[in-house]
Formats: sequence, structure tokens, C-alpha cells
Amino acid sequence: MPTLMQEEIATSPNESHQAKPVTTARTDFLSVRNFDFFYGKKQALFGVNMDIPEKQVTAFIGPSGCGKSTLLRNFNRMNELIDGVRHSGEITICGQSIFDPKIEVIALRRAVGMVFQKSNPFPKSIYENIVYSLRISGKNSKGVLDEAVERSLRGAALWEEVKDRLHESALGLSGGQMQRLCIARAIANRPKVLLMDEPCSALDPIATVKVEELISELKKDFTIVIVTHNMQQATRCSDRTAFFYLGKLIEYDVTQKIFSNPSQKQTEDYITGRFG
Amino acid sequence: MPDEPTRHILSDFESSLDDLRKNVLMMASLTSRNLENARKGLFERDEDWCNTAIADDEEIDALEIQIDRDGIEIMLRFHPFASDLRNVIAGMKMSANLERVADQAVGIARRSRKLNLHPPLPETSAIEPLFKHAVAMLNDSVRAYAEGNTELARTLKPRDRELDAMNRDFANRVTELMPTNPDLIRGYLELIFIARFLERIGDQSTSIAEDTVFAVVAEDIRHSTPPA
Repeated sequence: MPTLMQEEIATSPNESHQAKPVTTARTDFLSVRNFDFFYGKKQALFGVNMDIPEKQVTAFIGPSGCGKSTLLRNFNRMNELIDGVRHSGEITICGQSIFDPKIEVIALRRAVGMVFQKSNPFPKSIYENIVYSLRISGKNSKGVLDEAVERSLRGAALWEEVKDRLHESALGLSGGQMQRLCIARAIANRPKVLLMDEPCSALDPIATVKVEELISELKKDFTIVIVTHNMQQATRCSDRTAFFYLGKLIEYDVTQKIFSNPSQKQTEDYITGRFG
Repeated sequence: MPDEPTRHILSDFESSLDDLRKNVLMMASLTSRNLENARKGLFERDEDWCNTAIADDEEIDALEIQIDRDGIEIMLRFHPFASDLRNVIAGMKMSANLERVADQAVGIARRSRKLNLHPPLPETSAIEPLFKHAVAMLNDSVRAYAEGNTELARTLKPRDRELDAMNRDFANRVTELMPTNPDLIRGYLELIFIARFLERIGDQSTSIAEDTVFAVVAEDIRHSTPPA
């Protein structure tokens, strides 16, 4: 099985002429087991268990403070930047623990990219924003960098809009373009997983729709987990939805089921606006 | 989080859902009244009751339009989910079925008016059991919706099959009388049409019950065979 850091599984010379077998997408591509998380003495997550399938969009919903962003930030160990945090339980990607001491956390964060609510392009050119992480990992060949820039910007549906001004400041872009640039920057590293923490909440409706359209395209190549307060967005964009409340995973199912006939009364009360 | 069901935080949403439901129940009440007026027009041979049933259909048609408007507005404004969405959809579908029941009542009233122009037919009394059965089905389907009673709703389908059989038997019986009573054929045909209208009321009541089950428990029981 491919690990977090590996590229495609190498085949022997005798096998190379044969057709590669079709691999079925894993249902447990990103797996959480008995996961507790603490900010100091305060427990923020309680015994979370879930399997996130490969190349699908999974939405996390729930009221503020329910733990959805906390769990999201654990997938690339961003929470370790905060003093006093600890966890128990396990998170694996393709069966490999992300807490394995052999894992370089920087490499993990390339493999598990993240886009934030407020777009945060570097105060650099559009081009340099994309290639920044490639440069610091030692890739400096112009051909390689140019390819990565075009691939990533096309992947983020931004190429046509910026191809003639790649060396202009990224700060001159509109809000929606900046967010798509941040997505392009994340996918430049060819991540396995893309985490999105309320990626559209600061965008106007048109920019939001463009990002949602982009998400539906990106899921062909990436496993996506998105935190959103917008339940309509969750129904439009996601294949599966997880509802959290007070640090617990209350219900996790196919999105259509969650929003048409949830199994848990708490889920029904939340999505119908009876509490929140 | 509260354990008991609570009202929606958005009071406009809560009142919009309440108003939709009230309009559906009002429409059901008016439809039942119209059907009762048509029944009196037939069995009491009273043209005034027939005319009332025909005239009052306009009010029911207007309510159907209002309910559809209200339902669409709820969906546009509030994007309902889960049971709220199912209830809005069920309410809109129910109004369409009630409107058709009201049309059947008008059809019965019109046919009764024609029957009343001629001497009474003894076979008219034979249609009374069908009428009672259809009215009971309509009333129970509406009660099931009002109470969210899926158990009652599920009884409608087998009762509809009974009504179908009663309609077939009645039509066969009246048809057999035609060769020996050619002067009464016109009247017999009116009765067959009336029986057919009642059979359709049974179908629409069954649809109302199916929509109730969907609204309450998200189960689609249409086109399924109920257990014997």
C-alpha cells in the first residue's frame, strides 16, 4: 500500500508492460480511532471514530466550539503549534499513523494541505506563492517550477485569469482569486488530502460558487475535508457529512441521508434550526 | 441541547410552517364539506346541495394555489431540511390530492343534478356503501396527517383495494340491469360515473396517506404491496 510520502508503487521491469490493475478507492483513506484531544486541561474531542473515504468530499458541521476545526487541524498536526495540547487515540492515512515518529511533520503538511477561512497569500508574486514550498524543499529547476505553477493554477481554475501576470503581486488579486491561489499553492505539492476550514465564508456569492465548483473538480484527484457553517454548501459540495456537538461525533453518513432523514434527533434539531 | 422538541429559532420559519399546515387542514375540511354536500344532493335529490358543492369548489382551488405559493416561499427563504422539508413537500402534494377529491365531489354533484331530473332509481341506494367507504377513507387519511399517525395511514391501501372491488361489483351489477331496462340506461351510466368518482377519491386518499408516512418517517410506501 502506498504510504504518505511515497509516489506510485514501483513495478518490476517485467510487469511494466502489463496494464495496471484498477484500484478501488479506500473507504478508510483517512481514519480516526478513539481520538481524544485536549487543550491543556480542557478536553475538546471525545472518542472520535470515523473513516473518511478517498477522493470524496467530507463535510464537518456543527455549532461553534463543537470541535470540528480542532479535528481538522489534527489531520496535519497543526494543533501541535499550540502549547499544552495533547491527544490519545490514532489518526492514520492509508493505514500509516500520522503520529509515527518516523514521519516528518513538514512532509506531512505537504501531503495534507490546508486552506483557511481567511485567504493568506504570501506578500510575493503569484508565481512565488506557488513555488515557495517547492523551493524550500530544494526544487529550483525552472522547468519543474514552471510546470508546477501552470498545473496548480489550472487545477485551481485560476490559470486563465492570471497567466499573463504571474510575476505581479498576489495581493492585487480579488478575494476569490486569492482563495483560489491558496488552493493552488496547496495542490502544488500534490497532497493526498486537502483540508479546507470554512474556505468560502469570507467570499461573495459568485466567488463562493466558483470555489464550490473547483471543489467538485478537485475531488477527482484529492481527498477533501471541509469545515463549513453553511449547511446548504455542505449539501451542494459534500458526499458525506459529519455532525459534531460538544466535542463528540454525533452522526456521520451520506450527505443526502443526513439532511433528508438523520438518524439522531440531535442532528435533526441542529439542521432544522431548533438549536444552535 | 434540550431533550424535548423545541420550536425553530427563527420565529418566521415556525409560523410559516404552522400556516402551511393550517391551510392544508382547512382545505381538507372544505373538501370534506363539499363531498358531504354532493352526497346530500345525490341521496336527498336536492339540487341546491349539488349547486353548493359545485360553487364552493372555487374556494378549494384558491387554497391549492395558496399552499403551493407558501410551500415554495418556505423553500426559498428557509431552505428546510429533514422533517421540515418532508412536511412542506407532503403539504404541497396533499393539497393537489385534496383538489382532485374536490373535483370528484363536483363531478358527483353534476351527475346527481342530472339524475335528479328523472324518477329516482332504486339502484341509487346501492351506491351508499361505496360513498361511506370513500368518505371514511378521506377522513382517516386527513386524520392520519393531522396526528402524524403512520399506523392509521398504512390502513388506507388495503381499504382502497376493497373500494376498488366494491366499484367493480357495483358497475357489473348495474350493467347487468341495462339490457332489461333500456329506458334507465342513462341513469345507470350516471351512477357508474359516480361510483367511479368515489373510487378515485379512494385513490387520492391513499396518496394522502402515503405522503403522510413519508413526512413522518421518511419511508416511501408508494407502489408497494401492503402485507395481507
